Amino acid sequence: MPTIEPCAQTASVGREDRLELFRLVLLQRIFEERVMALYRQGRVPGSVYTGRGQEAVAAGAGLALGPDDVVAPLNRELACHFARGATTADVFRNFFGKATSPTFGRDGNMHFGAPERGVFPLVSMLGDLVPLVTGAALAFKRRGERRVAMTFLGEGAFSVGDTHEGLNLAAVWKVPAVFVIQANRYSYSTPVARQMVNTNISERIFGGWSIPAERVDGTDALAVLATVRAAVERARDGHGPQAVEALSVRMHGHAAHDDSRYVPAGMREEFEERFDPVRRLAARLALDGLEAGEIEALRKAAAAEVAAGLAEAEQAPAPDPATLEDGVYAAPPFA
Amino acid sequence: MSSTGHLEAPGAPAGDPAAGEVTYLEAIRAALQDAMREDDRVFLLGEDIGVFGGAFGVTAGLLDEFGEERVIDTPIAEEGFVGAAIGAAWMGERPVVELQFADFIACAFDPIVTVAAKTHWRSGQAIPVTIRCPTGGGVRGGPFHAGSPEGWFVGTAGLKIVCPGTVEDAYGLLRAAIDDPDPVLYFEHKRLYRSLRGPAPAAGHRTPIGPASVAREGSDATVVTYGSGVTQALAAAEEVDGDVEVVDLRTIWPLDEATILASVGKTSRVLVLQEAARSTGAAGGILSLIARRSFEHLDAPPALHAPPDTPVPFAPELEDGYVPSVASVVAALDELLTY
Repeated sequence: MPTIEPCAQTASVGREDRLELFRLVLLQRIFEERVMALYRQGRVPGSVYTGRGQEAVAAGAGLALGPDDVVAPLNRELACHFARGATTADVFRNFFGKATSPTFGRDGNMHFGAPERGVFPLVSMLGDLVPLVTGAALAFKRRGERRVAMTFLGEGAFSVGDTHEGLNLAAVWKVPAVFVIQANRYSYSTPVARQMVNTNISERIFGGWSIPAERVDGTDALAVLATVRAAVERARDGHGPQAVEALSVRMHGHAAHDDSRYVPAGMREEFEERFDPVRRLAARLALDGLEAGEIEALRKAAAAEVAAGLAEAEQAPAPDPATLEDGVYAAPPFA
Repeated sequence: MSSTGHLEAPGAPAGDPAAGEVTYLEAIRAALQDAMREDDRVFLLGEDIGVFGGAFGVTAGLLDEFGEERVIDTPIAEEGFVGAAIGAAWMGERPVVELQFADFIACAFDPIVTVAAKTHWRSGQAIPVTIRCPTGGGVRGGPFHAGSPEGWFVGTAGLKIVCPGTVEDAYGLLRAAIDDPDPVLYFEHKRLYRSLRGPAPAAGHRTPIGPASVAREGSDATVVTYGSGVTQALAAAEEVDGDVEVVDLRTIWPLDEATILASVGKTSRVLVLQEAARSTGAAGGILSLIARRSFEHLDAPPALHAPPDTPVPFAPELEDGYVPSVASVVAALDELLTY
């Protein structure tokens, strides 16, 4: 019977970061379980996308950023939003389409950002965010600012032309952009072997564009944080774009409706038993000396934060249809 | 090719300009230059815009003045560098993209309509990017270098589309586009680059985005047009038997409905003139507006003068019959005035 493997002992990640990583992965896991239940109860319009199995990537990469850095997360990176200051109420309001959601009820689920905190709202057309963060990084380079722009992409986005154009531009311009690859083995139902022949994405990024690219165990939050943080600091120090390929398994379907019948029997169970990123980090914290009661208290605190956010979001007002055409333009031509 | 190695419209007049006059192309260059001198956030991205000065020479000399950090030659990747310009705009820069030909905007469609257009509405984040699109036919460019693709974007919420038809507006609309916090597509007509001359626009002049102008007042019929149609309509108005008003839209999206309706209400006859094929461009929305709002004012069915629904053909015998001319506008106006 395989048992959970604790996160590797990564000495560069201190106690404070470990506890924050645990808070972030717990928040993502518990929030997503809650919102999936709400979906099944018919209380969430549209769909639900989760990053179950990939929380360590979202948390580690999100925590690797500095306060003035910017990021464009996708829909598996809820913990990154929390790392950048989103509250559980913000995210629930977006799932519910409330007037006070980050997108004013105009977009849903994981499609939201925070302009005031440098978080770009998710665009569904995969690959679009690669040139986008390259351009943001170009702005930082032009202005001599020590800031970094990050985005995420999966194997699916790696088939899109924008991704290749954006990586090329980032390399040619030598801008401080960091690309985190969520290598989770599936693009919707299509296995990675049907997306590409050489599935070693970091090798391709380095070979194709001379962008330094490292592979990391995407289920080990400590390893992700240490690796992405080093990449972010290299980018910040003027060494040009950086990439990190984080290996994991998507433990849900693409979205709530997807029963993922295409995944071979037993694959996820085996993965979950040994590599569930939340339990791996809990096991590491136990080795660090945290008592079971302390770990349970952290879990309860995260659950309480999710419950409080849900209660707050449920009270938020629905959007008023009369406001629909407001804000199409920042400067309306005939206002 | 011209003596400077840049592409040039055939038949463009050579010779020295009159004192104080500039070409449409020079007005565009001056707008870029003045904007860059005034605001460090303004920088240029595009193919061959640096040492070479752009396919048409619009950016000639700007590399020398502003350096390669502000006049950036890009890889051949419209989707990529338009996306990157949007990213820089997200960070508060004022990037100005040059597409080599407007036709190549097809390659950049996704970041424009998906990212630039929708972001403010769904998040409150402004995207102040300007995309320059050398547009239009009459230059023997054929199906890939002579199109008028503005219609692909008309009706797209969040975008603004401007089409200067005068030297003054070539300058003023570009300055306004660069100032504007929203994404602006700026369609500059290749045939006008060196053929259209006018007094040098005052430095700092802005043509507001939105309002149309009445380029010529008249009482018998209205021509609603934009871009290359403006000079054609003004010339045709001098030749027909009737007092023709010319509305130069300047901004084709969103549309200045009030100016169109006021003019049609006054003249009771309207011709919509555009160089885009008849089922694209701006005409559909204009004719719909007039049908809905001016029906009881009309003395004749609203008329449309535009090329057929094909790509722009190459052979002179085909293209000259395809692109509207002063003579063809005169014929269309004669028909409208005698209905």
